[in-house]
Amino acid sequence: MKLRRNPLKLAAVWFLFGALPARAQAAPPASPTAPASPSPAGAADALVEFHDDLGRLVRIPALPQRIVSLAPSLTETVFALGLGSRLSGDTNYCDYPPEALTRTHVGGPINPDLEQIVSLHPDVVLATRSLNRQETVDALDRLGIPVYTTDPRTVEDVVASTRRLGAVLGAKSQGDAVAAQMERRLADLARRLAGRPVRRVFFVVWLDPIISTGPHTFIADALRHAGAISVVNAPQDWPQISVEEVLRQNPDYLVFAGTHPDDPQATINALKARPGWSSLAAVREGHFAIVSDALDRPAPRIVDAIDELARQLHPDAFVPAASPPNSPATRKGLG
Amino acid sequence: MRPLTPRRLLLTCGLLAAVLLAVVFFSLKFGTWAISLHDLVVQLFRVTMGHNDQVTSDFRLIVLDIRWPRIVLAMIVGASLSVAGASFQALLRNPLADPYVLGVSSGAALGSILALIWAAQLPGATPFGAFIGAIAATAAVYFLGRRGGELDSYALLLGGIITASFLSALIMFLMTTISGRELRGMAFWLMGDLSTPSPVSAGWLFLVLVLGVGAIYTTAADLNLLLGGEQEAVHLGVDIVRVKLVVYLGASVLTGLAVSVSGAIGYVGLLVPHLIRLMFGSDYRLLIPATALGGAIAVVLADTLARTLVSPTQLPVGAMTAMVGAPVFIFLLRRNMA
Repeated sequence: MKLRRNPLKLAAVWFLFGALPARAQAAPPASPTAPASPSPAGAADALVEFHDDLGRLVRIPALPQRIVSLAPSLTETVFALGLGSRLSGDTNYCDYPPEALTRTHVGGPINPDLEQIVSLHPDVVLATRSLNRQETVDALDRLGIPVYTTDPRTVEDVVASTRRLGAVLGAKSQGDAVAAQMERRLADLARRLAGRPVRRVFFVVWLDPIISTGPHTFIADALRHAGAISVVNAPQDWPQISVEEVLRQNPDYLVFAGTHPDDPQATINALKARPGWSSLAAVREGHFAIVSDALDRPAPRIVDAIDELARQLHPDAFVPAASPPNSPATRKGLG
Repeated sequence: MRPLTPRRLLLTCGLLAAVLLAVVFFSLKFGTWAISLHDLVVQLFRVTMGHNDQVTSDFRLIVLDIRWPRIVLAMIVGASLSVAGASFQALLRNPLADPYVLGVSSGAALGSILALIWAAQLPGATPFGAFIGAIAATAAVYFLGRRGGELDSYALLLGGIITASFLSALIMFLMTTISGRELRGMAFWLMGDLSTPSPVSAGWLFLVLVLGVGAIYTTAADLNLLLGGEQEAVHLGVDIVRVKLVVYLGASVLTGLAVSVSGAIGYVGLLVPHLIRLMFGSDYRLLIPATALGGAIAVVLADTLARTLVSPTQLPVGAMTAMVGAPVFIFLLRRNMA
């Protein structure tokens, strides 16, 4: 299948190694126990204590200069916070923004090379629970390298996590700004979608075999924000679904996340040719939504992907947005 | 066959120990982080002389804290698996016996997964679960391999394959249905992986290794007789029940130890005893210690390749051993059939 290359690989990694649902006690909020506000000059080396999403106490220099990210979403977040120049290392899968490709790679998220990480002398290593292994975090811990682990489960978590990472990385104001921007756009989307019918969608993580997403993943939450609901209700996070079940659920739309919407027609044709799929109403009517792989990643860009998806699922809600930037209400009020 | 003298035993083991030392040295040298031979020698000299304060922090972190513990684990796992393999080969009188091929490793893996699910908070639960799993799997394979009161070579192999695939199916079922963070990354571990340090200290692992190998070694002379046939061994005065029990438990302990630390690393237990037999003969009094050293050499080599070949990405060490081991297995199988 041609639709997605890099994300496919990533999804494969998820499926093989990270597909195990992780439901544990909610972690306490990551509140700095010492002031995280910009310290006066000269105090940049002072250590600040934070509780990460796993509840672990992490001591990090107030202005970490060398950051290593162990997940594509964290790499994106670091760049979104304007701290890309301080990112010393990232993973083989970190491909956004393109500059991330130029950083020293430390291996894959599941099995990074500890030696490579240590030789970068990081002030802090960023990990995320859905993709990295606890063993990796423990091993770095024993080597005396501070690891801050995030664990966003919902879109709201992604916003909060972005804000906290700003504070942790010594860029509190940027973190607040990026998070506020995300919140504004989500609120705008919610306003536009209010009262619209919720689309029943089938989110295709992988096509051969068919892997979808369970109700407890942040993707399922992202779908909700885009005015959709996943028809899959399996307890697993990345369940394998039969064609029969897809037919039984008869979703309104099929949703794909890919790097580019490159030739969706080829995928549609391929699906139309398959027994079972061809009789699906969504396939017959061409109800495909193709969004960027940002939907797969709990990083600030997820709002773009949600917006992109919402526009395809609810085109009516965005009609006024096609006209000049002033909102219709304002113009009406003025006119 | 040349008679085994203490001199020959010492010379052979000394030779293998020297090779092991050289392999360990080169494994310390190679990795993502570059260190010159000169620096390595100088720093190692400082460490051995106790001048720890003169060692650079990079060297301490990377060579002493990352590479060395991994090499120690590789040695312990390699020695365990190889001696377990040699023991199973004597116990089942089958040259193709290996903890991985026989499904004993899968049994140990299932045992440690169940231990993680039910008793993760108990210390030593995983190794103990692995041990129980190894014993149960060996018993099942032994039962499946019997035909008319005799152990049949092919029935045994088929029994092993069937046991392994049945246990793998159970593992797959558990991994897809049961949620829990402790199961994360288990797929990687199942393929045989040494990249994350063991939570159990190397000292304990080494103690269990020595006890397991030592117990099996006490039966070495009897194993030599057993290779000629069970009836013959009984006539020569071998307490066959005791020997079998000791070897069976010892080999299961060693397999459980290796699997609980590193997952299912395949073919080491097959490959190493065969190479040692080819080079030094099949007297178990020499074979057991020589196999332990040879296994340590093999797994340290395989793991060094696994972590450097496509660095910084790391291969599971089990993939390396299977790439070499599976063709050798086919070769031995065909020779056995001829």
